[in-house]
Amino acid sequence: MRRRSARRKYGIVLLMLSPWIIGFLAFTLGPMLLSLFWSFTHYDMSSSATWIGLDNYKFMFGIGHIKGMATGAHDPYYWTSVRNTLWIIAFGVPLRVLFAMVTAMLLTRPKRGVNTYRTLFFMPSMAPRVAAALVFVFLLNPTTGPVNHLLNLIPGVHAPGWFYDPRWSKPALLVLGLWGVGDAIVIYLAGLLNVPRELYEAISIEGASAWQRFRNVTLPMITPVIFFTLIMGIIDGFQYFDQAYIAGNAASGQNAVLGRPQNSLLFYGLWLYQQAFRFFHLGYASAMAWVLFIATMTCTVVLLVTSKRWVHYGGGFQ
Amino acid sequence: MKRRLLLYFALVAALALAASLALVLAAGCGGKKSTPTSTSGSHAPVTITVWHPWTVSSEKKGFENAVAGFRQQYPWITLKIVPYPNSDEFDTNLIKNINAGTPPDVMISFGPDYVGKYAADNLLIDLKPYMDRDSFAMDQFAPAALSYTAFQGKQVALPVLTDAYGLYYNKDMFAKAGISSPPKTMSELMTDAKKLTVRNSDGSIAVAGFVPLLDFNEIGPADFAHAWGGTYFDANGQPHIGTDPAWASALTWQKQLVDWYGYSAITDFYGTYVDKEWTSQQAFETGKVAMCWDGEWRTAMIANDKANVNYGTAPFPAADDHPEMYGSGRVGGTITGIPRGAQHPDEAWLLVKYLSTSTDFLVSLANGLGNVPTTKASAASSALHLVPQFQTFIDVWNNPKSGFSPPLTATGSGYADILNSFDEKWVSGKVSDLQAGLTQVDTDIANQLALGTGP
Repeated sequence: MRRRSARRKYGIVLLMLSPWIIGFLAFTLGPMLLSLFWSFTHYDMSSSATWIGLDNYKFMFGIGHIKGMATGAHDPYYWTSVRNTLWIIAFGVPLRVLFAMVTAMLLTRPKRGVNTYRTLFFMPSMAPRVAAALVFVFLLNPTTGPVNHLLNLIPGVHAPGWFYDPRWSKPALLVLGLWGVGDAIVIYLAGLLNVPRELYEAISIEGASAWQRFRNVTLPMITPVIFFTLIMGIIDGFQYFDQAYIAGNAASGQNAVLGRPQNSLLFYGLWLYQQAFRFFHLGYASAMAWVLFIATMTCTVVLLVTSKRWVHYGGGFQ
Repeated sequence: MKRRLLLYFALVAALALAASLALVLAAGCGGKKSTPTSTSGSHAPVTITVWHPWTVSSEKKGFENAVAGFRQQYPWITLKIVPYPNSDEFDTNLIKNINAGTPPDVMISFGPDYVGKYAADNLLIDLKPYMDRDSFAMDQFAPAALSYTAFQGKQVALPVLTDAYGLYYNKDMFAKAGISSPPKTMSELMTDAKKLTVRNSDGSIAVAGFVPLLDFNEIGPADFAHAWGGTYFDANGQPHIGTDPAWASALTWQKQLVDWYGYSAITDFYGTYVDKEWTSQQAFETGKVAMCWDGEWRTAMIANDKANVNYGTAPFPAADDHPEMYGSGRVGGTITGIPRGAQHPDEAWLLVKYLSTSTDFLVSLANGLGNVPTTKASAASSALHLVPQFQTFIDVWNNPKSGFSPPLTATGSGYADILNSFDEKWVSGKVSDLQAGLTQVDTDIANQLALGTGP
């Protein structure tokens, strides 16, 4: 009797969940499995897929012999795109965490006008990414942009070419990213305000300095927030696309030519998109997507596993 | 309990997969077969769908007005005109729809880039049977039309106006510098460019004679190489950029001029103006460059922007040792065709024929858009109201050495990016061995094409 009611309960749960389950299977798992299959085929959207085994992966990494190609054939821009993506993760994520944390800490200070400051800092993150990128291309124009006008006023400084100089194009995107860090600031602010006051009182009685207060109370108490922003930042970094696509197009005045100048903005996502939807190498793009998926998963899992050592959950969640 | 749960998941997964597979299979199937009926005698009312990529409202309206003649000529055919909102994604979206079995009857596209793929994958039907039936000859167009409408022996598209490129030069600046006529050779172009350049006191460029950088108003390394008679592929269809001496000569010329300006100075100048190409702040229109490579549409833009520039046009110069190349250049523009699976291919052909050959239509559209009329009859029409500078582009279009670039391949034109990105590195001074670099470009292009064609 009990078994039957339990079963019915399960049935109802599944029924309620079915819109999501069907959606997930048809629009997420189904296409994912399909793309896994395509990654082992030559597929161009028009003719049916032909099985080619590991050839797409061999071309990606430049290993082994591929039928119809010379020995040593490889994707000339694959590693460029990997390097660019790792660069934006290595610099973008820590800077974002640091910038959001420091700004949030400053925002806890003022006695008056707190809400105004918070609104001001949050506002940029509400601007559509496309619009923001376009504005930054304008602001950072090497000769007519206001930023370089200011920089050139400083004696001895030759303002950079930003989106027209391969050395400065990625830093330009970092500036754009930091401008829109408001969403992370809000999370840090919530985290900071959640640190129990008693802890600060206790450590102050012990005669701790400001740095010690930060190091021994604030930092451990906001590690869950750091952890969250780190994971989200890394996942976003692997999929970095919109800003580079828009800024690159706007700066070069050309549509659908990605990665300029000198492939410095050719991120993994952009190269994948180009392979799939400009060159119609759907099979190869699927293989690239799977490698990206595995890399993102690996990073996330490593972070999750090591998090036990440094993330402190005040609530005692095990 | 668990078993039932598993069963449920298996069932839904199977359904999802079946749905995905059905989509894939649908992609492989076409609609109606498209052999022309012997005569198009039936005048039963029929509606045909036309997709076009004009996004600006005046262009959309211009097109609708220009097809009025078709409506009069074929009153039983109703046109359902669908402007596609994003011309950059037009072809990708069209290919998806053809594969899904939901194509329009007639497509008009800006992208000859895709014609190779349209032909190789049978995405557009071969128009030859219709052309044979109606004694439709290709020689009513310039010979260059074939370079971007036919591939592997299949005539899958026809031209509807075209772009042609040439040299714009500022007559006032020429007079001031004591130059009497536009450069005809690449060494004259170099000398004139230097003479016309004006620098600020800090060494930065105030007015550039000519900007030899990628995509400064559309130019690319292949256009320089054309001046030396260079081509991407040899007679066997293999890339020969590393062995055809034209490329090394062209890229050396380009780098010499870049180095004369100073890479940093010319890229700062480039960065200031390259993104203004489609605005009234464009560098030639505002007198910031004395000469530029550009398409015929600039004549209309100069007029629309009321730009205060006294200018002339000429074919792009040819290499000193290749005078035979003078007068020719890159061409290629809008095309029309009938997608596989079109519901009414016979009526669609009537429209394709009209769009590509009706003098009234082509002249009306050319007057509106400022593009080169593609048929000999329309180019000679007295109703054509274009500025005198426009004639250069009609001549370039008709030159037998003109052609579409990059040449069509079964997998599109993406391979040209490999050359372009090499060129970016080359002019910046990061390539020590030009010849080795060009040979590597050949290898990379061959691999990319092989990746696209598959086993």
